[in-house]
Amino acid sequence: MTRYLIAECALNLRILFRQPGFWVPTVLFPAMLYSFFGANSGGGQWAANAMASFCVYAVLGVGFFQFGVSVAQDRESAFATWQRSLPGGIGVQWVARVVAALFFVTIAVVLVVVMALVLTDQRPGAAPLARLAVVCLASSVTAIFMGIALGSFTPARAAVPLANLIYLPLAYLGGLWVPPMFMPDAIAAISVWTPTRAMGELSWAAINGTGFETRYAVILLGWTAGAMALAGLAQLREGRRA
Amino acid sequence: MNHTATEYPIHARGLAKRFGSVQAVSCIDLDVAPGEALGLLGPNGAGKSTTLSMLMGLQHPDAGAAHVFGHPAGSEAARRLTGATPQASDFPDQLSPREILTYTAARYATVPQLDTLADRFGLGAIMDRRTAGFSGGELRRVSLALAFVGAPKLVFLDEPTTGLDSEAQDGFHAAARAYVAEGGALVLTSHHWDEIEAICDAIALIDRGETVLSGRIGEIRARASVHRLSFGLPEGYVPPEWTAAQHDGDSWHIETDKSDDVLRRLVQEDVPFADLTLRPIELRELIARIRQEETTP
Repeated sequence: MTRYLIAECALNLRILFRQPGFWVPTVLFPAMLYSFFGANSGGGQWAANAMASFCVYAVLGVGFFQFGVSVAQDRESAFATWQRSLPGGIGVQWVARVVAALFFVTIAVVLVVVMALVLTDQRPGAAPLARLAVVCLASSVTAIFMGIALGSFTPARAAVPLANLIYLPLAYLGGLWVPPMFMPDAIAAISVWTPTRAMGELSWAAINGTGFETRYAVILLGWTAGAMALAGLAQLREGRRA
Repeated sequence: MNHTATEYPIHARGLAKRFGSVQAVSCIDLDVAPGEALGLLGPNGAGKSTTLSMLMGLQHPDAGAAHVFGHPAGSEAARRLTGATPQASDFPDQLSPREILTYTAARYATVPQLDTLADRFGLGAIMDRRTAGFSGGELRRVSLALAFVGAPKLVFLDEPTTGLDSEAQDGFHAAARAYVAEGGALVLTSHHWDEIEAICDAIALIDRGETVLSGRIGEIRARASVHRLSFGLPEGYVPPEWTAAQHDGDSWHIETDKSDDVLRRLVQEDVPFADLTLRPIELRELIARIRQEETTP
């Protein structure tokens, strides 16, 4: 079991790592957007919140968008079909996917923080950064399973436009680009139910050292459970139809 | 479940599978005995690949059931005992054969015998190269090694020698025979009859989604021991009508299950034949003949 898990993680990471054309832009993109649009959002709490928002955006971009698309592409390969004929449970393959995604999410998030340290005068302490890391980790699980769910239901060609159609509005609705207080009322009413808003709220609380709101933790959990259920359903359907 | 059923590498009855409006497979019965190599034959679109997918557990049959060593096809226990070639050789470009083989062995929880596999399937020179630039034949050799890397007791090989040069084909035939001799069971689909005869002891013929003929090759040959007499005749000479001999522009041929009688009569009637050869007809011709007899009232 452990050997299988290690082998599966090694396989996933090797495949991804040997495609610099895939992962370099993927991990650079959030840090680049942050330096253009987030780094000059004033000082104090505004700046801290902007950094946290772009960390969440990095989680979403790498976890949801890239992995959703790659799941859809993998699903159509003969190699993936053949892998289903091998012994060993499907659960390990999922864990390995999450591990591989977390690896790149971590690089992307760290790059955003590094840009914040270089471009602004923020000097967040170790405790807020650790809290932010925990929020990013939890958010990654949600984002990755949302990605797996999307990728499991869409053909490879449809995955990229569809992922864009979900991921960009989600980033906006969650208040990652425009703080929630500047949203029109109608948008604000939807915003509070989105997974990205929950991620955002938790990340802002993390970096500012204020208490986490249970409401957002519950919403995030709900989205995670929903995404896992969808991904599981897709797996079942795959097995039956195939 | 009785004892025999658990020992049988494959025991399948009444397999059926429909894709939308296409009935890919309607009634497949198959048995593979321990240490037996079964050749799955049939025209394109007959349902060979669908059958193989169901036996591997990649697709669930709409009706019927398949068991692998007594375990339902596709169950963890069944997958642990079987190996298969991928249906298309498209591996992740970024990986080398060594990495893919090591990964696969880890899934079987076995230690890969990489040197043996490299020898058997001619992977020595390409073991550590990424598969991105591989030729069709090289990819096929990796596919074959993948079917065997987990030390399975049953192997599925889908058109194993497509794209292989004759040396690699011979190497594969030797490896497959050695595997069967060591007690392994094997299911092979192929369009090459000589390959089926070289490796398999039994065949199942599939046509329009049904098993239309199955049995051990020796028994099928014994059932209809048809020989072909070929000979030349002087120019302008035509063989007697009772021989029903056919001319192929070069020689005359008579197909018969009573070759001794035919030959005696040819001699009695002083037919001036020359360069006579007598050999059993090829398996494909024999099967075509058997099927024709079965369908002709």
